[in-house]
Amino acid sequence: MAKVHISIRVNGTRHELAVEPWERLVDVLRDRLRLTGTKVGCGEGECGACTVNMDGKAVLSCLLLAATVDGSEILTIEGVQQGSELHPLQEAFVRESAIQCGYCTPGMIMAAHALLQREPSPTEQEVRTALANNLCRCTGYEKPVKAILACAKAMGEEHHG
Amino acid sequence: MADSFSTIGKSVQRVDAVEKATGMAKYGPDIRLDRMLHAKLLRSPYAHARVKSIDLSRAVRLPGVKAIATIQEVPKVVGYWFFLRTENKKKQMFLLDNILRFIGDPILAVAAEDEMTAQEALSLVHVEYEILPPLFDPLEAMEQEEVRIHRRGNIAFEVKKAYGNIDDGFRDADIIIENVYHTSKQKHATLEPIGTCVAHFHPNGKLTVYSSTQLPHWIRVYLANALGLTVNKVRIVKPYTGGSFGGRCGVAHGLEVMCSWLSRKSGRPVRMSFTREEDFIGTETRHPMTIRIKTGATREGILTANDISIVADVGAYGTQYIGVLADCLSTGVGLYKTPHIRFSATAVFTNKSLAGAFRGYGNPQMNFAQESQVDMIADKLRMDPLEVRLKNYRPLGEIDPVLNEVIRSNGLRECLQKGAASFGWKEKVRKGADTGVRKRGVGLAVMLHGTGAARALPDPASATVMINPDGTVNLVTAAADDGQGNRTVLAQIASEVLGIDFDRISVSDTDTDATPLDCGTHGSRQTYSGGLAVKAAAEKAREKILGFASKELQRKADDLLIRDGIVSERGNAAVSISVSDLMRKTQIEDMGLCEQVIASSSGIAPAMPGIYGACFVEVEVDTETGEVRVLKLTGAYDVGRAIHPDSVRGQITGGGVMGMGWALTEDLLIKEGRVLNSNFADYRLLRSCDVPELEAIIVESNEPTGPFGAKGIGEAGMVCVASAVTNAIYHATGVRIKDLPATPEKILGGLKGKVM
Repeated sequence: MAKVHISIRVNGTRHELAVEPWERLVDVLRDRLRLTGTKVGCGEGECGACTVNMDGKAVLSCLLLAATVDGSEILTIEGVQQGSELHPLQEAFVRESAIQCGYCTPGMIMAAHALLQREPSPTEQEVRTALANNLCRCTGYEKPVKAILACAKAMGEEHHG
Repeated sequence: MADSFSTIGKSVQRVDAVEKATGMAKYGPDIRLDRMLHAKLLRSPYAHARVKSIDLSRAVRLPGVKAIATIQEVPKVVGYWFFLRTENKKKQMFLLDNILRFIGDPILAVAAEDEMTAQEALSLVHVEYEILPPLFDPLEAMEQEEVRIHRRGNIAFEVKKAYGNIDDGFRDADIIIENVYHTSKQKHATLEPIGTCVAHFHPNGKLTVYSSTQLPHWIRVYLANALGLTVNKVRIVKPYTGGSFGGRCGVAHGLEVMCSWLSRKSGRPVRMSFTREEDFIGTETRHPMTIRIKTGATREGILTANDISIVADVGAYGTQYIGVLADCLSTGVGLYKTPHIRFSATAVFTNKSLAGAFRGYGNPQMNFAQESQVDMIADKLRMDPLEVRLKNYRPLGEIDPVLNEVIRSNGLRECLQKGAASFGWKEKVRKGADTGVRKRGVGLAVMLHGTGAARALPDPASATVMINPDGTVNLVTAAADDGQGNRTVLAQIASEVLGIDFDRISVSDTDTDATPLDCGTHGSRQTYSGGLAVKAAAEKAREKILGFASKELQRKADDLLIRDGIVSERGNAAVSISVSDLMRKTQIEDMGLCEQVIASSSGIAPAMPGIYGACFVEVEVDTETGEVRVLKLTGAYDVGRAIHPDSVRGQITGGGVMGMGWALTEDLLIKEGRVLNSNFADYRLLRSCDVPELEAIIVESNEPTGPFGAKGIGEAGMVCVASAVTNAIYHATGVRIKDLPATPEKILGGLKGKVM
C-alpha cells in the first residue's frame, strides 16, 4: 500500500510526513516524533492515556489514523509547557499530589486542557464528566479532580485580578 | 511532637511529580535501544495441551526474523523468592516442559526487525498439539486423579492450623451461622499494561534488562538462575512504572526470561510489550476463593469460634499461593480475639490464567467472608455492627497468634470512632433504609494487614547515603516506586535524620548495578522496611559528619547537632559550620584527607506490624434495575505515622475505588478457559463519574519499631472495602451478597428470592 503524505503541526512545529495507511496518530507521535509523553494504555479508546488535543479538542490518538489528520494542529503534553514554566494545570497536579504512577497523568492533563479552553470555570460534575474517558487506577480520581478545579479557580482569579 | 519535625508529616512535592506532569518520565514502553528487535509471543489456543512438535521452517525464512525461542529451551519461573532460600527449593522455581496449561500460555517467541514482521512470523509457525482434558473448576480439580495439570498433581499447597478447640468454641456459642462465599478473579488493570521488557545481552556476557518489576534485585537472581549466569552479570533497570498493585511482583509469565534468551540468541537488544489483551489473558490475577465459614458468638456478641475452610484457585501456575493463604490466616485469626479457630486451606491448579500477588494478598477474600459473618451476627443480635467490632478486635498488648508477636500499635478503635463520627454512622445506621424504589443503606467493615514480610520471606532492605562536597545528599536505594511515592518518603526520612533540607536530597534511579540489595516493593513495606534502612544509613552518616565537625569546631560530637544544614553546638549557635563548608573541607580542601561521608545499612526489619483500618460506605440500590451506587465512602486507617500525608490519602482513596470495583463490577469472566472480557469496555473499572465523595482519615498510633513511628498503607485501603459495600447493600435491601461482584443480576435475584 502506498504511503500517505500528511502535514501536521505538533506543539507548534510543522511536520511533513509520509505515513503508512495503518499508522495511528499515537504511533506517529511516539515512534516517529519520539513524543513518548503520550501513553498507550489499551489501544482501543477505552482508557484515555493517549489523549491529545487536536484543533483544541481532546481526542484519543490511538483511534485516529494518522492519514486522516492532515492539516491539523496537535498539542501533546510536551507542548503545554511555556518554556521552563509549568502550565498551571501541570503545576496544580504537582501541588495537589494528584500524580501517583503518572501513567494516566498526561492524558488527564490534556483532557482537562481542552475542558478549560471550552469552559474556564467548570463545576465538579463537569470536571468528572470531562475525565470520564480517562481511567486512573491509583488515585480514586479525588485529587486529579481537585487539582483541575483548583487550577480553574486560580486561572480565573488571575484573569479577573 | 509532630511539630518538631522539619519534613516528616509534610506533603512535600514528590520527587517524581514534575517528570510525570511534563511527560518526560520514561516508562517501560517508552524505552528504545539502538538496533533493537521486537518480539511477539505465540500463545496457546488450548487450555490444556502437549506440544508434540513445532515446525519453524517457514517462519525462519521470513525476511526480518532474527531469533526464535521456544518453551522447550526457555524455563518458566513458577515460584517466588520464598524458594530462593535453599538450592533444593530453588530448583522448584523453574519449570522446563512442553505442556500448555491455559489459553494464552506462551509456546514460543519470535524476535524480528519490527513488530509486524514478528507477528507475521507467528502465523507461519506450525505447532502440532496433543489436546489434553482441561480442568476449570478447582473443586473438581482437587478430586481429579486422572488428569494432572502438574506432575505432582492438582493440589499446589495445603495448610491446616488450629487455635484453641473448635468444639469448645461452638459449645460456648449462643448463635452459630455458616455460609459459603465466592470471590472473583480481579485483574490489576494497571494503566501501563503489565508486560514490557527490553533485554540486552552485551557481547561481554553481561545482560541488562529494563523491567517494570516490583522486585529488581530478586528478579536479577531469578534471571541469573534461569539463564545460567552469575548474579553480577545481570543488571536490572527499573524505569518509571505505571502502577503495579502486586501485578509485577516477580517476572511476567513469558516475558523477561524469554526476552533475555532472544537477545542472547540474536546478539541484539530485544523488546517485548504485551497488549492490553495479553495483559488480561496472560498475566497474573487475584486468587478467586471459595470460603466456607462457620462462626459462633455469645448473645452478647462475643465471638467464640471460627471454622474456616478455603479453596483458592491458583490457575495454571502458582507463584505466591503460600503467602496469599498465610494472609487469609492473618485476617481469620489475627484481627479478632476469637479463642477457638480451625483453619484449613487448599490451593488448587486449574487450566486458567495464573493467579499471583494482588493488593491485599489473601486478606480481602478472607475479609469479605469474615466481615459478612460478623455483620450477620450483629444483625441477628440486633446490635450495632460497630459495637460488635469494638468488643472483639484484638487490642494493643495482645499477642497476634499468627505473627507470634505482641501488638505494639493498634489504632483500630480510633479508626472506628473517627470514621463513624465523620461519616455520620450513628444517625445513618438508625434511619429507615426504605426510600421508595431506591433504597439507601450503610455498612462498615474493619481490616488488618501486616507490613512487610520480615521472617516470613527473605525480605532485606538496604540503603546508602552519600554526602557530596557541597553538602547535598545522594540517597541510593532500590526501593522500587510504582507510583506510591516511596522514593519521596525515603528522601524525607533521610532529610529528617540528617538535618539537611529535603530539597537537597536526591534519590537514585532503581538500577541493581548501583544500588544495594533490597527485596523491592511488596507487602506495603517500603515506608517501614525501606524507611528503617534509610534511617539507619542516615544515622551513621550523621555520626560521621559530626565526627568531622567535632574536630573542626573543637567540641565533643555529642554536644553538636545538625539542623537546616548547619552543624552547631547545642544551645550555642555561634559555634557552627555549615555541612557544605565542612564537606568541602573534608572532601576537597584537605588533600591529605579527601574522604566522602558514605554510610550504608542492610538487613531485615524487626517486625511485621499490623495496619488496622475501618471503612464506612453508604449505598443506594435501585430495586428495579439492581444497580448499586456508592454515595459516600470514608476510610480511616492506622498507619503509625503519616510521613507524607497526601500520599497516604492517595492510597486510601485509590484503594477505596479499587475495592468498590472488586465489590461491584470487576470479574475476569472465563468460559471453557477463554477470557471473555479482555478489554476495558467489558472489564469495567469505575470511572471518575462513578465515584462518590471519598474521605480519607489518617490515624497515627506511633508504631514503636517503625521509622518515626510509621508502618505501611499501600494495600490496606482496599482490603475491607468490598465487605463494607456488601454490608451496606444488605442494610439497604436485605439482600446478602455472598458471591462477588455484586452485579445487578445477583441483587435482583436476591430481591426476588426474599420475602419483601
